[in-house]
Amino acid sequence: MPVAQPLRHLIGPLELLHEQAGPRLLRLTRLGIFALWIFKLALDPLWRLAGLPRDLFQPIGILALLPTGTLDNLLTPTGLTTLWLVALTVLAVGLTNKAFLLTSTLAAILLTAYSCLVRGFGPAVHTDTVLLLAVYVLAGFAWADFFQSKLSKQKTSPAMWSSYPLVTIVAILCLSYCLVGYNRFIRGGLPVFTGDTMEVWAIDASLRAYYFNTDIGWHIPEWPLVVFMLKAGLPFITLFEMTAPLCLVSSHYRWIFIPLMFSFHLLSLVVMNIFFFDDMLLYLLLIDWSRKYPAMRSAGS
Amino acid sequence: MTTSEDKPLWLPPMSLVVIVVIIGAISLSPFAFIPFNLTGQALLLFIVLRLFCYWPPMVRWVTSMPVFHRTMLALLVGSMILGHYTLNSRAYYPYVSWFIFSTVREDDPVTCREFIATTASGQKVRLLVEQLFPSIVQIYPLDDPTQYSPAQLDELAHAMATAYNQHHADDPVHRVDLVVMAVKLHPPAAESRAQPSCQLLNRYDISSAR
Repeated sequence: MPVAQPLRHLIGPLELLHEQAGPRLLRLTRLGIFALWIFKLALDPLWRLAGLPRDLFQPIGILALLPTGTLDNLLTPTGLTTLWLVALTVLAVGLTNKAFLLTSTLAAILLTAYSCLVRGFGPAVHTDTVLLLAVYVLAGFAWADFFQSKLSKQKTSPAMWSSYPLVTIVAILCLSYCLVGYNRFIRGGLPVFTGDTMEVWAIDASLRAYYFNTDIGWHIPEWPLVVFMLKAGLPFITLFEMTAPLCLVSSHYRWIFIPLMFSFHLLSLVVMNIFFFDDMLLYLLLIDWSRKYPAMRSAGS
Repeated sequence: MTTSEDKPLWLPPMSLVVIVVIIGAISLSPFAFIPFNLTGQALLLFIVLRLFCYWPPMVRWVTSMPVFHRTMLALLVGSMILGHYTLNSRAYYPYVSWFIFSTVREDDPVTCREFIATTASGQKVRLLVEQLFPSIVQIYPLDDPTQYSPAQLDELAHAMATAYNQHHADDPVHRVDLVVMAVKLHPPAAESRAQPSCQLLNRYDISSAR
């Protein structure tokens, strides 16, 4: 077929991302994810939350399982500072890769408590949720490595083991986009894409002004071109969200996905004061480092 | 994982046809008992997962996994998918229901309540919970009566003023106004757009002892 060849060039190679990843890349990923959490925590004056009215706090997730007395103690300056310090210490130990099984598990528990705590005064927003799930993946596969090497009689080569958490983190990142896209497409339907919905969301977010406050978005009705961009961009972005799992498959798709979603997140910051910088940093895992650099490959590849 | 040689009858395309019919029956028929919101999304997700089952590199990767790793993969991805279908973002956090801009909004004008403080020198300052307490990613909108009683709004205004004053002892807040701001989607051409229109709802005296 004469069309087949150009089409094949356009689609490019279809290879599983990180299939050849080795221990060095996994080590760097662990380092990056733990360092990012340390950076986030180090900038966060968590103890200030004690200054908010206690009755505004509605526990979520694992915090809802704690007795009220324990929660009351946690929401004091001492309790919050202790959680902050312990989490930072565990994360710092995790950077050394020493006893990673234990430190990653503790980190997962402490970061879950922290993430639930900071969402107790408002909605359970998605920001940094994928980054928390990435810690779960690192801890979970560390346990799987442990059990497999200690308990199983099945003889398997650990050459490919490093790829398991890396592919899973990317799968979870893509799945988060994918589910957001499906939800908008099915639940919102056509009216989300054809009416003023996106303009209203943008003005609303801009007026609310979260941590970042560009004070720009509420001017949108004055700028017909921006209104058009928002309305025309939403179906386009939704299409890429829904097809995000292709990131696992196609390098050509990834080279469109990364700049497009990167620009989308930056535009969300400028217009809506919403910044998903954790997801943007996780985009580093959308690059197939092990195919580019032999040092990052597993011994068996 | 199945190869094309031993593909059973229930696999696609037959299985997809059957699933679409089932979804039509349980979500779109007069006897619908599961909303299409759920089944429609489930169908799309099912198609993606099935496509991966037929992609040789993915099949190779998954089949290379020892049993503990495969179980972990299923647990991690499965929990995320289950969490989404609970439609509950709070109870099972971080296994949340994933949605952004998924509901239709046509409100015009767009309104928002916020606290505007007046300091001792007469300066007007916007008090934002997310800036005074940076741990918080987002609070509930202040105009949500299910989240804030008048007494809680009063407490919040005082807490924010106290937090602000700790860092601005030279020019502390004396008064906090709860205002509603409004931006029209289709404003008349002659209307000034320098600032959103602003209407006072309540006033909290901070200088008085509490």
